[in-house]
Amino acid sequence: MFPTPVQKAPAWVRHAYTIILPIALIIWLLPLIGVAITSIRPSGDLAAGNYFGMPSRFAGFENYTAVFRDSPIGWYILNSFKVTIPTVIGAVGLACLSGFALAVYKFRANLIVFFLFVAGNFIPFQILMVPVRDMTLKAGLYDSISGLVLFHVAFQTGFCTLFMRNFIKSLPFALIESARVEGVSEWRIFRYIVLPLMRPAIAALSVLVFTFIWNDYFWATVLVQGQHAMPVTAGLYSLNGQWIAAWHLVSAGSIVAAMPPVLMFFLMQKHFIAGLTLGATKG
Amino acid sequence: MVDVTLHNVKKQFGAVSVIKGVDLTIADGEFCVFVGPSGCGKSTLLRMIAGLEEISSGDLKIGGNDMTHVGPSERGVAMVFQSYALYPHMTVADNIGFGLRMTGHDKAEIEKRTKHAAKMLQLEPLLTRKPSQLSGGQRQRVAIGRAIVRNPEVFLFDEPLSNLDAALRVQMRTEISTLHQDLKATMIYVTHDQVEAMTMADKIVVLSAGSIEQIGSPLELYHRPKNLFVAGFIGSPKMNFLNATAVPAGDQIRVTLPGGVDILLPAGNAGVSEGQSVTLGIRPEHIDADAKDGAILPAKLRLAEYLGSETMFYVSLADGSDIAVKADGLATAKPGADFRIGIPPKACHLFDAQGVAIINGDLTK
Repeated sequence: MFPTPVQKAPAWVRHAYTIILPIALIIWLLPLIGVAITSIRPSGDLAAGNYFGMPSRFAGFENYTAVFRDSPIGWYILNSFKVTIPTVIGAVGLACLSGFALAVYKFRANLIVFFLFVAGNFIPFQILMVPVRDMTLKAGLYDSISGLVLFHVAFQTGFCTLFMRNFIKSLPFALIESARVEGVSEWRIFRYIVLPLMRPAIAALSVLVFTFIWNDYFWATVLVQGQHAMPVTAGLYSLNGQWIAAWHLVSAGSIVAAMPPVLMFFLMQKHFIAGLTLGATKG
Repeated sequence: MVDVTLHNVKKQFGAVSVIKGVDLTIADGEFCVFVGPSGCGKSTLLRMIAGLEEISSGDLKIGGNDMTHVGPSERGVAMVFQSYALYPHMTVADNIGFGLRMTGHDKAEIEKRTKHAAKMLQLEPLLTRKPSQLSGGQRQRVAIGRAIVRNPEVFLFDEPLSNLDAALRVQMRTEISTLHQDLKATMIYVTHDQVEAMTMADKIVVLSAGSIEQIGSPLELYHRPKNLFVAGFIGSPKMNFLNATAVPAGDQIRVTLPGGVDILLPAGNAGVSEGQSVTLGIRPEHIDADAKDGAILPAKLRLAEYLGSETMFYVSLADGSDIAVKADGLATAKPGADFRIGIPPKACHLFDAQGVAIINGDLTK
């Protein structure tokens, strides 16, 4: 059996394992622990240079209240939802349709179109930053939620299509043929046979895309300037004072901002993990 | 009810020719079986009739109407797939009624027809179950039920029994035959199992490498195979073939078998040239294991299978060729023993070097 279960390994391996694993875990969590501790640090500690030591007292309550009192973080979170939910619906919905077309129909350009969707994922979006910003400006979508949603949908649809196409490809094709012989129209085949069978894929992909979009910082800063459309990831910036960086407040705000995707992950853990493996194993 | 006619139907995948010109008429209400080894194109031919594969050239008529380029939904056919293709998220009742629901039949009508189909196939207690809760045989019945409710003019079956175990296969075979008698519909059935073909068909179409080898009733194919392929394919266990030479001898043909034994076959209106090399075919069940009848050949018993009802002997002739012999279940010969077999002339088939039959040992005559 490969890999050999650690319980069967020699004693020294087992001991090393029990020592190294927690160390690796702590290293992995270190940034998060740092942020969490900073978020309960009084501002005086930072001024005194106590960045990494124990906080001199617990200031969590005042920091978190300050975040909600001094910044429109509630508004930012609302913006984040306004961006994330339409993007998830748009990208997953489009991907269901394009994935169905690519998986079911044989046409000459099928593979080329599919590869275009896949290849789009490999373009580093930093190189698109300037042209996309110009384009949004000209289209009058700059600094608006709808602009942000449109571009997120555009960038996510490639990955989602890859995912959905592979999932539909793994469904037995005889189901579709059987329905065709029965005289069912193509749209109804999609609506009544394929779509219900795609439920696990839709759930998994939605959870995945939700976390991607919620955590996006790049496009939020590139395409949005004003408070009215700012998602929470970019909005945290406003917690800093004009001259000083309020790390304790930014940390507290980050923890608040991270809550929805973390909650989403724990509530939908099953779907999330399915989402990471579904496309891979059933391709 | 309708007939199905194929005229010079061909199928090409790129440069590869899969169906090489098929001419076939299936009469109204006939049970027609396509049989052949895997890869011979029988499923492709069926899918072309269903409209799931494009017909590259030639034409197809169903009930006199040209259906060559008509979509599958408008052909009035129903198909049962090898994998059953049941919709996993629907109950049995929904599976059966789905096609009707999607094509705008009213609720009462769907319910009536679903009930009727379920009753015919003894599916009534299972109507609220999902396919995953059914056994293989039950799933197969649902798939058939889904075909029945639509009152199709032609039923197409694509190896429907190959996923079932042996006992269930025999049972479903008789059920499908009964169904055919009740519905009197035209049915086309694809299988690679020649026993299925023999037991169910009115007409068997033997296919090999994309062409029809022979069309005929089961007994016709058994007694009068047109060529070596059909002779070897139909019948179980397989027909024995012996290399031999033939010379004309008046109104008979003298065939010299391996080991130098001669056998005289009635020539009928067949002719051979002097010393022509031929293949003599004889079915295991027609060989006389007691060596009392026909030309007697000495042999060595290599292997014996005692099945109770019968015993299969595999013997080697002097020149090393192997012969299967179906003997009485009480035969007791042991492997290694000397063995003599009798070849009755009236059961012998003779094929020329191209594999075309010269003489058919038709026992029905």
